[in-house]
Amino acid sequence: MATISFDLVSPENLIFNDKAGMIIVPGKDGDLGVLPGHSKVMSSLRPGRVMVYGEDKNLLKAFFVSGGFAEINPEKCIVLAESVVELNTLEKSLIEKEIQDLENEENKKSKEKLLVANAKLEAIDAKFYDKI
Amino acid sequence: MPSLKDIKTQINSVGSTRKITSAMKMVAASKLRRSQEKAEAARPYSSRLEEMLASLASSAASGEGIIKLLTGTGNDQNYVVVPVSADRGLCGGFNSSINKETFRLVKSLEDDGKNVQLMPVGKKSRDFFNRVMKDKILESFADLNVSVNGYDAALQVSNKLQELYFDGKFDKCIIVFNKFKSAISQEVTQQQLIPLDVSNSSKEENVDDSGAKAIYDYEPDEETILKDLLPKNVSIQIFKVLLESDAGEHGARMAAMDNATRNAGEMIDSLTLKYNRTRQAFITKELIEIISGAESI
Repeated sequence: MATISFDLVSPENLIFNDKAGMIIVPGKDGDLGVLPGHSKVMSSLRPGRVMVYGEDKNLLKAFFVSGGFAEINPEKCIVLAESVVELNTLEKSLIEKEIQDLENEENKKSKEKLLVANAKLEAIDAKFYDKI
Repeated sequence: MPSLKDIKTQINSVGSTRKITSAMKMVAASKLRRSQEKAEAARPYSSRLEEMLASLASSAASGEGIIKLLTGTGNDQNYVVVPVSADRGLCGGFNSSINKETFRLVKSLEDDGKNVQLMPVGKKSRDFFNRVMKDKILESFADLNVSVNGYDAALQVSNKLQELYFDGKFDKCIIVFNKFKSAISQEVTQQQLIPLDVSNSSKEENVDDSGAKAIYDYEPDEETILKDLLPKNVSIQIFKVLLESDAGEHGARMAAMDNATRNAGEMIDSLTLKYNRTRQAFITKELIEIISGAESI
């Protein structure tokens, strides 16, 4: 089966750079499944899960991104993410605490952070896309 | 004439200075390597972002809101200059060249009748401009420590800048920083940060793939993406500048400390020579005294 090369880049470093069979990225208007030969798309992302699958559709890696951009062309998919964490390193209890702290603050920045934190929590619990 | 003991003390003190400078040189060298790696790691993101922006920028019409980061306010009267220096000294002309260049830039803009304000980043430029043109300082940042805090350091500066920009406090922002050329040389560079100077970046991009553009589908649409992209680009540009300046600082310090170590070595050599000469002179003098004493008996 064909592969598509996938780059996951954060401002600080290059996090993932390898061939993949399929990638799911959280587009602003809904998730995008990217297969080799995908048409050219540029999309901005919402906070959510970036899932990377191997050639036989086994899940290789799952990341959480807090937003960013994806540039997709038939050979390559590039995700520029603001901050990236591997999904299995997220601690549910820590995030719940963060959410509580943020809910006590009332300003524009904390609201943004709250949005991201809630998305994180959702991403941990979400089981869909684990097997496709 | 200094006594032997005086010279000895002097030799010892220069010797310990040499120890310090050579230790600082080693530290700077290892920090330089690390910050160079960081700058290297940040490159893929910023180059990608620039590419995206270049392909989008052409489609943007002038407008309100965030698009102003690209198109400008339409005015050209109020400037903000952001000098980026180090937080510490002992790195040769690194900080003073930034301060000098900024000072010159401010004067020349003022001669053209513009209003100029400053937003120094780094202790050394903050302190300098606090002394010479305190009334112009809008905001200042110190101890950003980009090598530890990473991208967040850049966000602090960038958020503040954008806040002020959208409040209509200035029309143009120029950042002055030391561009990292090699471990031993830095170049003072001015870069226009706001509004975005597309002419530079798009020219470079056009060379590699001129035909491949504008066939993208945009989701949700070009304008929304651009609105997300532009503020991020400002942050990334600042991040890049901070990293370069950080690497430059360590490079400059390494060179300065290398020089200082060498000078201290030379000084010790010449002092040792002086010490030995003095010692011999004393011995000769004593001998003469003994001999003339013996003769007189």
